Amino acid sequence: MATTYPHGTHKSADDPHVLLDDEYGQYEPIPPYPPRTERELEFYTPGDGEMYLNMGPQHPSTHGVLRVVLKLNGERVVDIDPVLGYLHRGVEKLCENADYHQTISQLDPLEYISSLFCEWGPVIAYEKLLDVQVPRRAEYIRVLSGELNRIASHALFMGWFALDLGGLAPILYSFIERDEIVEMLAALTGQRMLFNYFRIGGVNGDLNHDFLSRLGDWMSRAGKQIETNLALLNENEIFVRRARGLGTIDREAALRLCMTGPNIRASGVPFDVRRAHPYSIYPEIDFEIPTRSEGDSLARYLLRMDEVKQSLRIIDQCLEQMPDGPIMAKLPRLLRPRPGRAWAAIEGPRGMYGAYVISDGTDQPFRLKIHDPSFIHLQAVGALLPGHLLADTMAIMASLDPVMGGVDK
Amino acid sequence: MTNELTRSTSAGARTTALTVPGSTAVSEPVVVRNELWAPADPLAYDGGQPTEITHLAQLEHDMSLRRDDARWSGVLEVIPTKADYVIDLLRANSLWPLLSGLACCAIEMMSFATSKNDVDRWGAFPFRASPRQADVLIVAGTLTTKMSGPLLRLWEQMPEPKWCVAMGDCTCSGGRYKRSYSTVEGIDRIMPVDVYVPGCPPRPEGLIYAMMKLQQLVKDRRGHWPERAIGPTVPQDV
Repeated sequence: MATTYPHGTHKSADDPHVLLDDEYGQYEPIPPYPPRTERELEFYTPGDGEMYLNMGPQHPSTHGVLRVVLKLNGERVVDIDPVLGYLHRGVEKLCENADYHQTISQLDPLEYISSLFCEWGPVIAYEKLLDVQVPRRAEYIRVLSGELNRIASHALFMGWFALDLGGLAPILYSFIERDEIVEMLAALTGQRMLFNYFRIGGVNGDLNHDFLSRLGDWMSRAGKQIETNLALLNENEIFVRRARGLGTIDREAALRLCMTGPNIRASGVPFDVRRAHPYSIYPEIDFEIPTRSEGDSLARYLLRMDEVKQSLRIIDQCLEQMPDGPIMAKLPRLLRPRPGRAWAAIEGPRGMYGAYVISDGTDQPFRLKIHDPSFIHLQAVGALLPGHLLADTMAIMASLDPVMGGVDK
Repeated sequence: MTNELTRSTSAGARTTALTVPGSTAVSEPVVVRNELWAPADPLAYDGGQPTEITHLAQLEHDMSLRRDDARWSGVLEVIPTKADYVIDLLRANSLWPLLSGLACCAIEMMSFATSKNDVDRWGAFPFRASPRQADVLIVAGTLTTKMSGPLLRLWEQMPEPKWCVAMGDCTCSGGRYKRSYSTVEGIDRIMPVDVYVPGCPPRPEGLIYAMMKLQQLVKDRRGHWPERAIGPTVPQDV
């Protein structure tokens, strides 16, 4: 039964004449709790001329529900205290109570922009436990759909990054590309976002005419279209001068923070799981690993756009070399892997996405640990933000491209 | 109550403006004189004389008053209405959503707002970043127990009249995270919901359809808003 207030008797936190005597409507003081650790004590002790500013969990550009308490001196950020867990859905625990097939659908919404990669890592780990040989056609379809998903993810990154720097137009263009890609993936997998497509030992459905015709259509003009979209930002002097030198992270610091993916490649470390620890059919495919040495926001942006071009190359090769054959390995319906542990890592659009599975011989995983790159990269925010202006905080955060679904799990 | 209404109207009480019993709204019509155009037929509308009928409801109940002696080029001499009727029409065609996404559905909500599914065509556009300027709260994504407090505060900060759309299975019923220890099984446990959009996530077209349904709802209730609870509608123990 809902509590209702008769007309005129309700209390409003906005009305200065209303004295709030109940707990409801009172703003949480900062800190919201007595400091529990030395770090909290240090952060919540303001220095001379310092103030706190709360940002989130509802903020138009925190890319989800992230709350950051900023300690400011004037307009300079002195220190930050991120508060996580606003999107903690307990995925890992739910996976312990689902059988191996069911976990795939639970894992989809972790990095909801690149769902196929969230399935890919755990599926490879399960296949290692089960000693399954995946048919080659299934591997090609995985790589093909995965690279499409990578392009969609980077397209969204481009739009958001520009949006956080104050440019409104690019997101309109990037969503055109993204919508075309997810529509063709929907023709393949049946869903626009949470595909639930990879299976243990293969994929769910074969390539169909609808998907291939959409893909052919798009590929015939993708290169030109992407160049047009990139010209919006790359040739925009305001954007380039704003993003250059913003949030610079050098090679040693990036390694120390365990960054992976485009973020570390923009700092000069040519680490890519597709080459360093090859999986699937990537050893047979010819593509480059773009690397940059500046380590700033502009480099991270440009590097992702270079990756899009490499992804187009990979898709071309997949379509040329696509073999015939089955798309699923022969497996029993109920899977009981041998007791043991398996680790598998793949290169997602945000970096190394890993899955660590412990099997106890039953049809449900005993433990499934997800290593998510967004969580790792969010650590870097604490190292990057101090010294920057308040207006740059969102731009730096956006250049790292975290997804809160993966951070909070 | 309905008997009273029908009896009074069937008796032919022509000048009595119909009011909803118990309504505190002003029942006097706002009469907008026509000084802009003349009807094509000079004899239409009683030859241009001011009409006695100032309320559309009278036309509804008295068959003898129903006559159509002019083309639509003429329309009516007066627009008999209440201010709420007009304002609600404007509200329905300019629903400003709050720019607030929680999880996966937020991406589809962006797709619903950008180029391909341009929702601006149906008047549900400028996404406002501040709840003080928003009409509709589209709850897009899984609501966790930790996020429910901030979300409720957003809802409370929105000025009346306001509407809530539950987008996605998670917000309708809990969806695929129904069995989780940290999620709220449907946002209607903590706030009123006007339109539910199932799907995980729903297509942008689904959300467009929901906004059209919401517009229909606003128009249907035009001028007859039920007394809605102002203030927290949270169960005590949540």
